Amino acid sequence: MLVITRKQEQSIIIGGEVEVIVLGIFKDGVRLGIKAPRSVQVHRREVFEAIAAENRAATTAKAPIQDAAALLRAAQVRKPHVR
Amino acid sequence: MTPDPATTPDTSPFAEDGTLLTFPKGLVGFPKLSLFKLFEPKDSYPLKFLQSVETQEVSFVCVDPACVKKDYEVPLGEEEAEALHLETPEEALILTLVVIPEDPRNMTTNLAGPLVINVKTRIGFQIVLNADKYPLRFPIIAQN
Repeated sequence: MLVITRKQEQSIIIGGEVEVIVLGIFKDGVRLGIKAPRSVQVHRREVFEAIAAENRAATTAKAPIQDAAALLRAAQVRKPHVR
Repeated sequence: MTPDPATTPDTSPFAEDGTLLTFPKGLVGFPKLSLFKLFEPKDSYPLKFLQSVETQEVSFVCVDPACVKKDYEVPLGEEEAEALHLETPEEALILTLVVIPEDPRNMTTNLAGPLVINVKTRIGFQIVLNADKYPLRFPIIAQN
């Protein structure tokens, strides 16, 4: 891992097109600004991991999908249709 | 048995036997799998399977979130709409992934990570939304 010291308002450039700027340094956190092309997705790690975990969980149905579907259809019929 | 109009899909943009979809960036946590077949197994409406073409063991259960939360909307930024080449909202198919636990009454869907697919180009992306506002585990069967 590359470790670099930066001060407020200084930045680093990654791959020539992603810039990470230190906007502010506080007692318990650092505020970063990120400039990246539209094709580069930027996520907080914990959000990214939570979605990845839900994705993995969605690959293993622990009950037959038809049973789940029947429950879902029954629940929909009971619900009044509000528009 | 006569199909009940309340539980039968009216129109589907995709063929019954499955449609090939491309996710150029894969799904979150599955970046290398980009080619999927979307299909609805027998007696599974409104649930669908998104089956990886590259890795047979990987398939996701998913649902049209409008079936489970009528007012669900994906705030699609201009940048994302552009990446998807969406010209009108009607061109977007939204799916959310479903987790089916041992007791399927407790199944949930992930409203924070919807799949947005352009029905014309059949290219899709998984969008990551703010998990504070969009639940990762939204209970599908309302617990009354």
